[in-house]
Amino acid sequence: MSSEPQAVTIVMVEDDEGHARLIEKNIRRAGVNNEIIPFTDGTSALGYMLGSDGSGEASARRHLLVLLDLNLPDMTGVDILAKVKANRHTRRSPVVILTTTDDQREIQRCYDLGANVYITKPVNYESFANAIRQLGLFFSVMQIPETD
Amino acid sequence: LLLDAETSQRGFLLTQDPKYLEPYEAARRQIGPDMERLKQLHQSDPEQERMLEDLSRVVSDKLAELAQTIALAQAGNVAAALDIVKSDRGRESTEAVRKTLSDLLAGADIRLGADIQDMSSGARYLSFATIIGALLVFLVGAGSLFIVVRYTRDLVRARTEVQTLNETLEERVQERTTDLARANDEIQRFAYIVSHDLRAPLVNIMGFTSELEAGVGTVRRFFDEVDVDATNTTAGEAKLALKEDMPEAIGFIRASSTRMDGLINAILRLSREGRRTLKLERVDFGDLLDLLAANIQHQVSEAGGEIAVIRPIPALVSDRLALEQIFGNLLDNAVKYRDRNRALRITIRAVEAGRNVHFEVSDNGRGVAKEDHERIFELFRRSGVQDRPGEGIGLAHVRALARRLGGDITVESELGVGTTFRVSLPRVLRQQGLGQAVEGVNS
Repeated sequence: MSSEPQAVTIVMVEDDEGHARLIEKNIRRAGVNNEIIPFTDGTSALGYMLGSDGSGEASARRHLLVLLDLNLPDMTGVDILAKVKANRHTRRSPVVILTTTDDQREIQRCYDLGANVYITKPVNYESFANAIRQLGLFFSVMQIPETD
Repeated sequence: LLLDAETSQRGFLLTQDPKYLEPYEAARRQIGPDMERLKQLHQSDPEQERMLEDLSRVVSDKLAELAQTIALAQAGNVAAALDIVKSDRGRESTEAVRKTLSDLLAGADIRLGADIQDMSSGARYLSFATIIGALLVFLVGAGSLFIVVRYTRDLVRARTEVQTLNETLEERVQERTTDLARANDEIQRFAYIVSHDLRAPLVNIMGFTSELEAGVGTVRRFFDEVDVDATNTTAGEAKLALKEDMPEAIGFIRASSTRMDGLINAILRLSREGRRTLKLERVDFGDLLDLLAANIQHQVSEAGGEIAVIRPIPALVSDRLALEQIFGNLLDNAVKYRDRNRALRITIRAVEAGRNVHFEVSDNGRGVAKEDHERIFELFRRSGVQDRPGEGIGLAHVRALARRLGGDITVESELGVGTTFRVSLPRVLRQQGLGQAVEGVNS
């Protein structure tokens, strides 16, 4: 376990602000108080994680956990996933795919690209809230490696 | 003949020998019938008839003369007979006979000449007619030849056209198929994206409704704890809103969004099914039906009914999963919409029809009204008493699947009697360009 688990930053890439808000609420309810940085498009999220030069140097020595929606206005979450997992600095950061797609091919593809968890957002709110809270609990016991 | 008679008369007169009389007798006997024959031959001509009468008169004169001389000679009066012969009477009568005969002959000649003329003019007409006839034959022949030639030319042209069409047909079918496949893919993709994108806002609606409900609950608890002044009408209204209006509103929002979620999921499932690549294999359909029957067996038994799969059921080359879904759905419907007043009875049988097989799933359930026979296959449409839960998706799904498998489904039903669904499927399904999965749809 990292000596300062609260240093883990949650990067949330979600274009739907309603979803973002609901996710945040439920993570907080699970008792996770880590910083959550929301992004509503892929470009700015990649800019934060990989830096403006795209090298990933910006994320060096950071503890990142990425919450990723696949349906984004400027690119698909799969592209972001591929870039994050291909980058030397960010490849060890856990990526949680949180999306409405429950297409088997899509799920397989995400795991193939190195996604750590794939969660389908259930429309039923109780299930949704429950899933997020469990995710929060998972975060609290999860070891997040420091990025190189 | 007259001459023969005369000659023999003379011979007899000279020799007194009765032997010479024999030709005379023979001639006399023959003259009568001969005259009759002549008369018959010349009946048609009045002039000749007259001549013949002369002839017969002259001939009988002559015969009378001859008879007279012979009678005289036989009586021994040869001299008297000879006198008569010497007198000109014999010669004259013979002359008269000759003249009459020659007249007769001349008349016959003239008549013959006229006949010949008639005949030759007839022959001329005949040759005219023959020439005209030949001309006509030639014209008809030429005409038919022309028609035949034209017809043949048309035929050849038509055949060339058909050939050209045939050659381009394959190409055009290919084009159409590609177009259709593209259109189909587009619809599938559209349904998928739309349903998917509708889901995201729904998550928010449901989510924030729950948040709202939780918030309302919190506020209500607060109101419960705090004693509200009964005279404060605003507080009373607020409490009423919290306790009744808001929960009711939230209930409706939740119910509607749940329903919408169901519909969206149905569309999503249909579109996903349409995009699924069919996996063709040989399916022992009898076994498959047994398996499906076994799946609902306990429900059927519970209802006191029975289910029968009537063999023979032919094997198919098709997509197993789709077949399972089609018939599973039909059997589920049969159980779901059974008539509770009688024991459920489900029968499945196969009827072979050329390259297709018709599968009939019959039940004795509540039936479908005639006006709903087409409607039940439409998405989100249901029929009859709405006492069973359902979205109106099953049969729409079944029809889509059956059509994807190159077949179709029809229904025969009488309200209150039962329903027969007839699924027609090709014995061997051939994979086509249509309905293939669209790769790479992300969202």
